[in-house]
Amino acid sequence: MSVVPMPGTAAEIEPPVSLWRDAWHRLRRNKLAVFGLAVVVILAFTALFGPYLTPYDFLSQDLNSRNLAPSLSHLFGTDDLGRDVFSRVVYGTRTAFLVAIVVTFIAVVIGVTLGALAGFFGGWLDRIVMWLTDMTMSIPNLLLVVVINASLKSPITSWMESRYLATLNPVYRETIWVDFLLVFGSMALISWPPYARLVRAQVLSIRSRPYITAAQALGLTNRIILMRYVVPNALGPLIVAVSAGLGTAMVLESAFSFLGVGVNPPTPSWGNMISDGLRVWQHYPHLLAAPAAVLGLASVAFSFLGDGLNDALNPRGAK
Amino acid sequence: MMMANDIRPEPSAKTGERLLDVKGLTIEIDTRNGPATIVDGIDLHVNKGETLGIVGESGCGKSLTMLSMMRLLPNKIKVTKGEANFAGRDLQKMSNSDLRKVRGGDVGFIFQDPMTSLNPVMRIGQQLAEPLIYHRGMSKAEARKRAGELLKLVGIPGAEDRLDAYPHELSGGMRQRVMIAIGLACNPQLLIADEPTTALDVTIQAQIVDLVKDLRDKLGMSVVWITHDLALIAGLVDRINVLYAGTVVEDAPVDALFANPSHPYTQGLLASIPKLSDERSTRLSSIGGTPPEPGRRPKGCPFAPRCPLAEAICHERVPSLEGLGQNGAHRVACFVAQRKLEAA
Repeated sequence: MSVVPMPGTAAEIEPPVSLWRDAWHRLRRNKLAVFGLAVVVILAFTALFGPYLTPYDFLSQDLNSRNLAPSLSHLFGTDDLGRDVFSRVVYGTRTAFLVAIVVTFIAVVIGVTLGALAGFFGGWLDRIVMWLTDMTMSIPNLLLVVVINASLKSPITSWMESRYLATLNPVYRETIWVDFLLVFGSMALISWPPYARLVRAQVLSIRSRPYITAAQALGLTNRIILMRYVVPNALGPLIVAVSAGLGTAMVLESAFSFLGVGVNPPTPSWGNMISDGLRVWQHYPHLLAAPAAVLGLASVAFSFLGDGLNDALNPRGAK
Repeated sequence: MMMANDIRPEPSAKTGERLLDVKGLTIEIDTRNGPATIVDGIDLHVNKGETLGIVGESGCGKSLTMLSMMRLLPNKIKVTKGEANFAGRDLQKMSNSDLRKVRGGDVGFIFQDPMTSLNPVMRIGQQLAEPLIYHRGMSKAEARKRAGELLKLVGIPGAEDRLDAYPHELSGGMRQRVMIAIGLACNPQLLIADEPTTALDVTIQAQIVDLVKDLRDKLGMSVVWITHDLALIAGLVDRINVLYAGTVVEDAPVDALFANPSHPYTQGLLASIPKLSDERSTRLSSIGGTPPEPGRRPKGCPFAPRCPLAEAICHERVPSLEGLGQNGAHRVACFVAQRKLEAA
């Protein structure tokens, strides 16, 4: 005789499934998302450990072997200074991740804070925040970054040099930080408005849900309600946006490097490699193809992962 | 159990001290055409240890009165006049931080829809612990232990194991039990139940009513039960206030109300409850028309346009709530009913 489980008892015995574990199960069933996740993991691994594993140093030049085509000893060939392109692409991954993570982090912190406050409290605060986001979004991105970098870089650098000469304080000696600060800062400055808008819209819809009134009826403070009831419920779409945003930030950094306002040589970045490769692509296509392909792959992977997360974190939309 | 040790008024004090005393509360909503009155100078009170039923059809201001009393409504809806005294302090004049101590601490809420009134991304145990940590200053471990006790108190099987469940893993009835446990977490003096059974099926409804009745007797708190279902709460409440268009039209002990419904609206409500003894072919009785929209309140008695007994005076003046009989415990706001009684 077979034992038929009583309906309803299964749920009593089954261990509690958390929302995240549930989402993970759904994500694993999505092939594109798994592909995206795998590529992102490999790239992240490359960014962390790659520079220690490459056969060549990304800076060492070998003028006897310039512009070599891809071969077994140089997987992606060499560039016009005889540097190993594969090693440079690997190191560029680190630059891309560094820029993407720092920029997205700053943008998310600004965007979530402003968006959540605007959506939750409304009124004049909302109007000011929305006015700020609209204003920021109305300025052409590239133009803003070019203006910031062009106008601020040399005065800050020369100020630091004069401080160093006056005080001999080593803090002022290293001007490479100015470079990073300006690139990160200006990119974050143009990247936060979409996060702010997204979070504001989420918060507006969550604010009117019954569990918020219930939390207020429990006498909880606005701060607790915002941090524990509103923001966690707004997180799903935000995670999706961040995943896609990381890819966008990488593309953006490449665009700026391409224009010469991004990370400066000799630090390898996919963008300045593409920019260098573009000048000679008719003769040495591999110099353009290698960094461009990796950038494209990274961008597509983040986008697939974002889509997969969207479906996984939104159970009602899935299936 | 910890709760029972607290000092509570004896049930005999039901006729005594007023725990909640709402006087002339007027609530307005901002509309495109300017402010419109939704609740017009409502008076109601709850004595210590008493259970009050608030009854009326949808949109007559039942929930609105209770929510706005606790200042839980959006800015568009404002209390413009009147006071709401809880334990002798006016909730309308209280500072926000004092009010927060009353909410959840002294006054517990149970909401209509258990499906959406729990935070979907927070474990049940945490949601129960939140008010305990905030109002009672408990440590996380203490609050968790207490949360387990509360779940047991509201009759959730395997209470301790349920603490780590998310709301979506529980059935509607279980979730409403969790809501009740949250409402009771800080051992409130007053529990406001805002149509807590509307979203549940009939067998579960009865269970929830019995549960609240049981807990009330155990913990000795006052209860305000908002509903549109007179029959459901007949065995639970001591007194019923019938609301129509934001005013109390009849206030009576539960037995007196069922024995001698005096306001035509109350009579209509009672007549519209289907009876088992009815023939199959009997048409369900209903009250024609709809309640007045905010901003379009009639000049006289708000019920006059729908009232089968309306007279000329009903369209001219607003009747006040007057006591019937000797002790005046049964009060009604109706010219016709009041005159009938004087004649008798």
